[in-house]
Amino acid sequence: MESKKLKKITAVWIIVVLTLFVISIVLGILMRLNQGGVLHHAPITFYSNMTIHGITMIGIWFVAGMAGINYLMERYVKTSYSANLIALILTVIGVLMLWAVTLIGKFHTAWTFLYPLPLRVMWAQWATPVFLVAMSILTTGWLIWGISMMTQVLKKYSIPQAFAWQHFKKDPAVKTPPFILISMITLVGVVTCLLVAVVLMALYFAEYFSKGSFVNDALLMKNLTYFFGHTIANEMLYLGLAVIYELFSEVGEKPKWKTTWYVALAWNFTLIFILTAFLHHLYMDFVQPEGFQIVGQIASYMASLPAAAVTVFSVWVAVYRIKIKWTLTNLLFFIGVAGWVIGGFGAVIDATISNNIVLHNTQWVPAHFHTYNILGNVLFSLGFFYWFSIQFTDKVVSEKFSKLILSLLIIGGAGFLLAFYIGGADSIPRRFSNYPAEFTTAKPLANIGAAFATIYLIPILILFYNISKRCLKILFPSS
Amino acid sequence: MLKNIVSLLLIFSFCNFTDAQTTSAALKEETNIYERVYDAPLQVVGQQSATFDELYAQRPVILALIFTRCTGICNPFLVKLKETLQFKDGDNSFRVLVLSFDPRDNMNDMHRLAQNLGLDGNEQWAFAITENISELTQSVSFDPVWDSARQQFDHDALLVGINKEGYITKKLIGLRERGDLDLLIGSINNVFVPTYRLPNQNMLFSCFNYDPVTGKNKPGLGLIFLALPAVLTASLLISISLLVRRSRRRKVHLN
Repeated sequence: MESKKLKKITAVWIIVVLTLFVISIVLGILMRLNQGGVLHHAPITFYSNMTIHGITMIGIWFVAGMAGINYLMERYVKTSYSANLIALILTVIGVLMLWAVTLIGKFHTAWTFLYPLPLRVMWAQWATPVFLVAMSILTTGWLIWGISMMTQVLKKYSIPQAFAWQHFKKDPAVKTPPFILISMITLVGVVTCLLVAVVLMALYFAEYFSKGSFVNDALLMKNLTYFFGHTIANEMLYLGLAVIYELFSEVGEKPKWKTTWYVALAWNFTLIFILTAFLHHLYMDFVQPEGFQIVGQIASYMASLPAAAVTVFSVWVAVYRIKIKWTLTNLLFFIGVAGWVIGGFGAVIDATISNNIVLHNTQWVPAHFHTYNILGNVLFSLGFFYWFSIQFTDKVVSEKFSKLILSLLIIGGAGFLLAFYIGGADSIPRRFSNYPAEFTTAKPLANIGAAFATIYLIPILILFYNISKRCLKILFPSS
Repeated sequence: MLKNIVSLLLIFSFCNFTDAQTTSAALKEETNIYERVYDAPLQVVGQQSATFDELYAQRPVILALIFTRCTGICNPFLVKLKETLQFKDGDNSFRVLVLSFDPRDNMNDMHRLAQNLGLDGNEQWAFAITENISELTQSVSFDPVWDSARQQFDHDALLVGINKEGYITKKLIGLRERGDLDLLIGSINNVFVPTYRLPNQNMLFSCFNYDPVTGKNKPGLGLIFLALPAVLTASLLISISLLVRRSRRRKVHLN
């Protein structure tokens, strides 16, 4: 079972993630208010905020997923506390450096840091190397953590068993739990995209220190950036799904879900195709060969649809006409799956070449990725955080605020997203610090978005307070 | 006919010269793109004085920088430009502005140049001088060097494409063919212009290497970097699995 040290480190992860989440939401609201003309930040301030907002959100929900699966993995295999601790320390160092780089150094390339932006210094001279070092530190910590968990799984399961290939035959001798299957599939993807980040950082460093004697190929750098960025943003969703496969039935007091041939097949599809889906970010790059663009579209469908289909089917079968115990945890999971599917649908629309010509770089893009994050992945992790926090409390936890929390999350989240979707359908470009008068709906939509985001922030603050309070008690039991 | 032959001979005789110039580190086609050109006051032959922004606001401008006492590239450069632009005769979507960067040139010199080229009164062409030439040349990164021995400027053959908002959208160095000029005219009219990077010896890991002869891309070393992480992960997975199995066997053996 879970050790005391694991309990404590998971509590620390949760507090860190929630604290940074609240700050990042505030930054997001400030950005929307600036786009709406209510605030008048300098463009550099806007883009610095956008950079730190993006990097922090991606980073925290990735580590939230990792912390979640690390905690639950202890049920099946012994995990490494040291790797977990190293990841925590390096994450804190990396995040502090990134915040310094953006807030003090005014580094503002957006979290995608597309080549050659980081090397075209328009900020403090020190910011670029520190940014690259911070990214390398984060990559190192997460790589150690990912490889460590992968190793622990392989100590108990062979490669075919870890990927549940034996389930393609009838009555397999060894049954792979869905949690292990999805965790393993995801960890392989995570390690791959982190290795991509290593290559990317090495190429950036090479150009930075060569002083012009070595330059990078923009096409290679863009491919690598999205191979890393797109993949990690998707893998963190799958980390959350692994948690759902483990906890959804358990919280509802129902038998555990089992791996079937179609679950195994769908997730193996995800493993293969998620690594090439990033190519849809390069549809507008005419120098990318057409074959790659076609692979990008096919992979985008194949990576998401099978996994979504089996997950929705599993959740539906688990709740349809079945009396289960509903708690805030599985309600967050349930709504999260709906948000993930809706956002995923928006993503597949955008990943279709004929649509991308219209939607590329419009507000449709933040619309879909915010959908599967704020109403998807975030809820997966919040569900886990809540479940974790009530495991070790002696008091009976009242769920009287659950309905209020869920209602505000849905109303706030849906309103915030709708402002983005309508903006996208109206061809309003994204990433503008201020909108010219020609985009007549851009400003009101931005302000509506900010207002609904503030509504979304209220339940987050309630959860932050309650969960953090319980996590602090886990950390300091005597207090 | 004779004029054409002489022009061609002159062009060929200067080809090597222009090639040498294009490799100069200071002048690159990529510099100043999407930067504003300096708004210099102009004296235009046969027209009223105007500022540069008044000129490009009427229609996009292709700026050609020359000097009338030039014994080098200027004449073949302008002759070639005139001939190549014949495919755009009567097209009023752009104007070629021939601007002297030599302070010694006056309006008479420029008028004579226009007459010699047979472009006097041509709506598509304008010949001008300016008092603020150094600011203007600086804004397009054009840096002629005075050679006192030859009493000539050492300079490149540069065309600068400027759109109606005054932004530099494209630059062409050297004597260029119709296809390049077509792209230049497209870019100053805000039409998307596909381009490919210039060959660079310092770029070791390209995904694809463009072959200008065949017009095709060949796979480059960079593609290996795209596949490498997946190969490394697979190797890592197999290695860990083998190591774990070996250590398990050793433990069983010891027990």
